[in-house]
Amino acid sequence: MKRRIRKAAVLGSGVMGSGIACHFANIGLEVLMLDMTAELAQQSLKKAISSKPAPLYDKNYAQRIQVGSLEHDLNKLSDYDWIIEVVVERLDIKQQLLERVDAVRKKGTLITSNTSGIPIHLMAEGRSDDFRKHFCGTHFFNPPRYLRLFEVIPTAETDTEVVNFLMHYGDVYLGKQTVLCKDTPAFIGNRIGVYAMAKTYQLTQRLGLRIEEVDQLTGPVLGRPKTGTFRLGDLVGHDTAVNVIQGIRKNCPNDEQAAAFEIPEYLNGLLQKGFLGNKTGQGFYQKTSEKDANGRTVVLALDLDTQTYRPSERSNLESLKLAKQQDDVQRKIKTLFNHEDKGGQLIRKSLAGLFAYAANRIPEIAHSIYPIDDALRAGFAWEFGPFEYWDIVGIKEGIAAAETEGEQIPLWVKTMVEKGFTSFYKREEGVKKYYDIESQTYVPVPGAASFIVLDNYREQKPVFKNSEVVVHDIGDGVLNLEFTSPHNSLGEGVLNGINETIQLAEEGDWNGLVIGNNATNFSVGANLMMIAMMAYQQEFDDLNYAVNMFQQTMMRCRYSSIPVVAATQGYVFGGGCEMLMHCDGAATSAESYIGLVEVGVGLIPGGGGTKEFALRASDAFFEGDVMVPTLIEKFKTIALATVATSAPEAFHHGYLQKGRDVVVVNRDRAIAEAKKKVLSLAYNYTQPIQRKDITVMGRGGMAALFIAANELKLGHFASEHDIKIAHKVAHVLCGGDLTGTQQVSEQYLLDVEREAFLSLCGEQKTLERIQHMLQTNKPLRN
Amino acid sequence: MEAYIVKGYRSAVGKAKKGSFRNFRSDDLAVRVIQHLMADTPELDPKMVDDVIVGCANPEGEQGLQIGRQISLRALGKEVPGMTVNRYCASGLETVSIAVAKIKAGMGSVYIAGGIESMSAIPMTGYKLAPSYEVATSTPNYLAGMGLTAEAVAAKYGIDRTMADTFSAQSHAKAAAAIEGGKFRSQIVPVEVEQVEVKDNKRVSSKQIVDTDEGVRKDTTVEVLGKLRPVFDRKGIVTAGNASQTSDGAAFLLVVSEEIVRQFNLQPIARLAACSVAGVDPLYMGIGPCAAIPKALASAGIQLKDIDQIELNEAFAAQALAVIQEARLNPEIVNVNGGAIALGHPLGCTGAKLSIQLLNEMRSRNQKYGMVTACVGGGQGIAGVYELL
Repeated sequence: MKRRIRKAAVLGSGVMGSGIACHFANIGLEVLMLDMTAELAQQSLKKAISSKPAPLYDKNYAQRIQVGSLEHDLNKLSDYDWIIEVVVERLDIKQQLLERVDAVRKKGTLITSNTSGIPIHLMAEGRSDDFRKHFCGTHFFNPPRYLRLFEVIPTAETDTEVVNFLMHYGDVYLGKQTVLCKDTPAFIGNRIGVYAMAKTYQLTQRLGLRIEEVDQLTGPVLGRPKTGTFRLGDLVGHDTAVNVIQGIRKNCPNDEQAAAFEIPEYLNGLLQKGFLGNKTGQGFYQKTSEKDANGRTVVLALDLDTQTYRPSERSNLESLKLAKQQDDVQRKIKTLFNHEDKGGQLIRKSLAGLFAYAANRIPEIAHSIYPIDDALRAGFAWEFGPFEYWDIVGIKEGIAAAETEGEQIPLWVKTMVEKGFTSFYKREEGVKKYYDIESQTYVPVPGAASFIVLDNYREQKPVFKNSEVVVHDIGDGVLNLEFTSPHNSLGEGVLNGINETIQLAEEGDWNGLVIGNNATNFSVGANLMMIAMMAYQQEFDDLNYAVNMFQQTMMRCRYSSIPVVAATQGYVFGGGCEMLMHCDGAATSAESYIGLVEVGVGLIPGGGGTKEFALRASDAFFEGDVMVPTLIEKFKTIALATVATSAPEAFHHGYLQKGRDVVVVNRDRAIAEAKKKVLSLAYNYTQPIQRKDITVMGRGGMAALFIAANELKLGHFASEHDIKIAHKVAHVLCGGDLTGTQQVSEQYLLDVEREAFLSLCGEQKTLERIQHMLQTNKPLRN
Repeated sequence: MEAYIVKGYRSAVGKAKKGSFRNFRSDDLAVRVIQHLMADTPELDPKMVDDVIVGCANPEGEQGLQIGRQISLRALGKEVPGMTVNRYCASGLETVSIAVAKIKAGMGSVYIAGGIESMSAIPMTGYKLAPSYEVATSTPNYLAGMGLTAEAVAAKYGIDRTMADTFSAQSHAKAAAAIEGGKFRSQIVPVEVEQVEVKDNKRVSSKQIVDTDEGVRKDTTVEVLGKLRPVFDRKGIVTAGNASQTSDGAAFLLVVSEEIVRQFNLQPIARLAACSVAGVDPLYMGIGPCAAIPKALASAGIQLKDIDQIELNEAFAAQALAVIQEARLNPEIVNVNGGAIALGHPLGCTGAKLSIQLLNEMRSRNQKYGMVTACVGGGQGIAGVYELL
């Protein structure tokens, strides 16, 4: 019988337990969370729900979680399909609990343990046969909703069916990069990731670098998060980090680089003083209450030699300067790796160590290279895993660097080079292949066929390309249009690209178009600089032309003879949101943050977004409806620049619509799901007819919205200028200055919307908002 | 011809949305109170009632269809007419005033006057906010929300958060003492309420007698109230704790002519010596009583110092404090048994409910003049002066 999960039980309600319970609730499971007492579990749940960033996609999902006590409610487990143990990291306690679970669980139920350090097979010892067959480790990273790595660690006795099931479930249902691990200390992610952290800790002091320099060197310039190395340490907490480092050191005494796991003196110093990082207010860094000349908080950094705090300074390293000048992250990495100054040395030595350490872990922790790269990318938000870094700097160059450091490179790598292979990975026809050690050939990464990763199409000739978009054939007669503009902003090139691609698809034998990309953010919205330049010059004819083109391009997404489907993730702001709403549908990653945010820059949604909200309000009206409450709801969403904190929440705000848009938990699958949607629509697609039946309320509706806006003003939730903008929003939503309720066309509303947008471009305070946003990336309240 | 108040009864005041009357309609409640009132007055045949005058602040939805007539019809029979009067929070006092005026004008001799409100049923601004476009574009503050008018009053008259929270804590303390002392028992008509609700997929029916006001928090303190966040103005002082509670309730009084008193040998308790209304700037709605009180006193021919007791509707602590301060009321004689912050404010019912509370308390204290006063949405005030007989 096919295994299906409907109900999941989480044992333990700590930070991880309640986080996992919430993520189970996110994907629609009925969850039972148990702890010592039901009260404790309830408190933990309450605390988790109010924590930031939110563990639930939608606060209402908390109803899906029941709590209870390990004492009284353990019998209920017989009714659950998956039991996950997340109690304190102590073998004896886990064993005792699992023994009790063994006595009550129904045969065939999945039972897993979420541990980061305890050997899985020890927990299975002494349990029943059925238990042992259905038991393995499942390792979520904190916070479970957001961190994308999910490690599955079977024992020798775990059923293959169970392993295969969890690998698939982790990917498709939990939305995680799911990595198969062996039952080795710290598994894959922490083993390699913590190695890299500890190694960098040591190198920093040895090379006499300052911590803030190292954070810059090991941040975005290296394809890693902004927190770099030391700020990440402060974030994780040094007690936690040191625990993991020492665990590996103790359990892996034979590692050829065991010395890398020695805790540096300065870190012990912090521990002794109780400076554990952000949670204690200081660690490697200490924030002060002082402000510098630019109004920024003065931050002190730890001097590793003296173990005292001093003001942090900008780095003058040439390697860093040169790397930053490169426009491509791979070139930045190469620049650093090949530079002779201390910054270059740090990157070269740390990567060299990483190459050797990771290569020597095969087959100890993984059977091949890709699980290691997958784990590091997903678990530590690196753009590249160890072997992908190695490909960037060159295999031979990497080996040479490692050997200079005295590190040993395993035979399989040398064999690979001798046989003439020049990279660990290669991409062919949209498929990513890895070097398979056993067969000594390139083999497709398993499961990757169900993903559409646009990077894998780079070597293919695009179907269309201009300065701001590139269009690929992603198979089955479906095109994908990807933005290549800065921050995926929507300017002239993108708009032209969309129009030309749709025309090309209509004229050719294409099934339809996906608009999607694999960037962090789908789009931050319209190209504000372009609007700003015309607005500053008060070139209203040009502005009118540009806004009209924007509107018509959005309309083209809906009114074409092929289906157009958006695939989104991250920020879907302003024009990005308008585009999403005008497509025939969308496959939105759960982690899509969708919002019409134009009010923040003193404007209203002018690319059809306000029109679309009027249309959607009209569609929600029914015979006998008083209409005003719906209208106020739509009005507030735009006037308060509401951003949904997840795709499920975006349905409440009306950015997404049931039956039209779908949520994809695994963001890597969004484009593939969008493609499926295109194909299902294409089967009998007929171009929709433009709407002429949109009910708008005219002055009657405006009066209600003006009064609602006045409440915001009196309550200090909105400034005078906010009210002016809000009135424009009301004006468009109600179809302008009409004396009564009537039906109007989309084009009429677009004209009203464009006129309102242009009038705001003539407002000094709007120009100030735009300028402030361009300079600081933050909205101005004026 | 003089008009007299013979007696008055009210329902307990339920907490809106979650209290005992959450599913109990206000017309059903009114029928029970009026039938009790007439049953307690066997001297009069219910068919003698000339009119039932029902105050209601949101006469739509469940309170629509001219609810005054629906109530008279069911409570007293098809021969007895009924009408609905809306002066927002003054409605329940205004109806008494209309009854008195009709009697004095010789238009009739037996009236039932009072008010109702189910705030569980009807949203605060009604189902459809549909203001005039001219108002919305030229004078939007005419329609400022009540909470924001309280903020405006607080800012103008220097009422701060601590003053408002202290006043609220006192309101709760006084109300709790009054309920414990059984002060409202004789004026409340116990009402049997049936609840049929689904629990664990089964219909569960329960019946309870509701005879006690529900809003009071006996143990609340200034510290507890101090933790609440401002609701209407993010820089303001008005919180859920220092504003009146939303409530459900009904209250009615029997008003008859001097001749009826004599003919049926009734024992009237009071007369409404004066009742005045006045207008103020809608943004400062809460200060309305300050305009109405002098008019009422002048009309009654007495002075403020002659007033022994005052029921000042606590729409908001900020507004009540401003009125006490500006009208120079003696705080000692205001709301001796607590006010709407603790006991609730069923809008259209409130004027009648406060009259009944006032008359009962005046009798027990053997006082002569008392006053009911309230601010009214849209920028008005009402003040009624009662003289105990």
